[in-house]
Amino acid sequence: MASAGVIAAKIGRSIVRRSGPWMLLSPFVLGSVLLVGFPIALTVPLAFYEYDGLTQPLWRGTWNFSLIFADPVFVTALRNSLLFVALAVPVRMAAAFVLAMLLQHRRRGTALYRACVFLPTVMPDVAYALIWLWIFNPLYGPLNIGLGALGLPRLAWLVDPDTALPAIVIMSLFQIGEGFVLLLAGLRDVPQEYYDVGMVEGAGRVQLFRFITLPLMAPWLLLLTIRDIAVTAQNAFVAAYLMTGGGPYYATLFVPLLVHEEAFDHLRFGDAGAMMLVMYVASSALLFLAFIGIQAWRHDHGD
Amino acid sequence: MTTVTDSPPRRGQLVRGAAYHLPRLAVAMLFLLPSVWLISASLRQTGLPPPRTIEWPPNPLAWSNYRRVFELVPLARYAGNSLLVVLFAVPLTVITASWAGLAMTQLPKPLRQALVIIAAMLLMVPTVSLWLPRFIVFKHLGLIDTRWALVAPAVMGSSPLFVLLYYWTFRRLPQTMFESARLDGASLLQIWAHVAMPLAWPTSVAVVVLTFILYWSDFVSPLLYLKSERLYTLPVGVQSLQQMDAIDWPLLMAGAAIMTGPVLLLFLIGQRFFWPERHGL
Repeated sequence: MASAGVIAAKIGRSIVRRSGPWMLLSPFVLGSVLLVGFPIALTVPLAFYEYDGLTQPLWRGTWNFSLIFADPVFVTALRNSLLFVALAVPVRMAAAFVLAMLLQHRRRGTALYRACVFLPTVMPDVAYALIWLWIFNPLYGPLNIGLGALGLPRLAWLVDPDTALPAIVIMSLFQIGEGFVLLLAGLRDVPQEYYDVGMVEGAGRVQLFRFITLPLMAPWLLLLTIRDIAVTAQNAFVAAYLMTGGGPYYATLFVPLLVHEEAFDHLRFGDAGAMMLVMYVASSALLFLAFIGIQAWRHDHGD
Repeated sequence: MTTVTDSPPRRGQLVRGAAYHLPRLAVAMLFLLPSVWLISASLRQTGLPPPRTIEWPPNPLAWSNYRRVFELVPLARYAGNSLLVVLFAVPLTVITASWAGLAMTQLPKPLRQALVIIAAMLLMVPTVSLWLPRFIVFKHLGLIDTRWALVAPAVMGSSPLFVLLYYWTFRRLPQTMFESARLDGASLLQIWAHVAMPLAWPTSVAVVVLTFILYWSDFVSPLLYLKSERLYTLPVGVQSLQQMDAIDWPLLMAGAAIMTGPVLLLFLIGQRFFWPERHGL
């Protein structure tokens, strides 16, 4: 009996040992399934039903899709969202890359400069939006006062349908800390010997950048671009929700804002689901384009 | 001191130093502007006519704005609610993210790589598309209008980025240490507590700071999943300040500054652990 107990205990211990990694992994895996995997899967049926969260869901087929595409408001929101991503993401990436190269080497003051660059990124979204609401104030905001002092034309910013979306793009350019840090890490990966060889061969700074830095950083840039396409959409939501409410004249109405309105104000879960599905397709297409673009570029320039 | 201009090498050094520092200083100042304007605008006396010039600092300094916002809305209670959420979410995140990161280092290579790819893909999921289906999940779990709806993402380590950060950190530790601990009969949990975590503390500092900021600043979750005003956290509380009809800019900015203060403080303390050099990356 005793030996059976010992054997059982041994087996038990061995099971614990073998399953150790899985036990430690389980909160992350189960949490991801419950909070990400399952919700994504749920979006698909949602888009084909009429559902308000209370009564029985009703099968509607593709009716939700015909409805949202017939709605000029949704088409405008989709166009605004794509325009926002197309304007904001490339400039954000370029800015993060330039700043990372500028502050790449540790010297006196670098730590301070880096902290300053990262600072706007850690600001709470609500506080950040309110500050910019003040900065963009057409009458007494510091931006227009500054422009006036420099003799430049003052703009109406968030009040003018032509400048409202660019204004939100501008404020998004200051929150690039994440890309900045990851690109700093990437730049440390580029072996110094490559630059040494390049300089011996007589390459100038532009050539070193074009033939060494850029090709080696391409995977990082691709990864960040994809992540940024996914993330900027949400940043635009808080800004638009607090600063413009989607206006003026739907100029800053983004898909997330409309999804929020449909789902949580009107309880039209089916319409919201269809919009999210369209957004998935649209962002996948963007991701695919970004991927193809960078791949093609890497083939052209060889690495 | 007067000889500086006379000696050419020193002057060359100065010029080079200026060429290095001036553009970088200008960029740093540019990124500092939003914070400077926040503080400056929050200290303006209420009821004055709108400014015609950029005033920094405003005159007189109205420190009383910071007291008055607490009288307008129950900001202290909102701050308490935010703190409560953070107190649950941050330790939970550190535990679950580091567990997952350590476990990944112990799995065979194909599984490990698959998990890294899955984590990277999870990072690409637009959070916007999770709002509604998560609402439905929370509703069925009875979490709507509870604090647990705000804390829930901590169960999965809050962000796959934190899991990956721990994974990269643990992978760079000498694996012989794990081996010898295992030969001494230590379980993975003991290795986590006594070997892995004490060595990974710089990563933990970065994760604690980033997680604090994530939950302290979260505006969307309370907006979607809370109904009762008594559970409101600071971001929704400050937003309610904005919705009061006649907005007093200085008071609104004071509310925003109060919400931003702890984040900035924590960031300034922890920022030296953010940079890649610190983690050997």
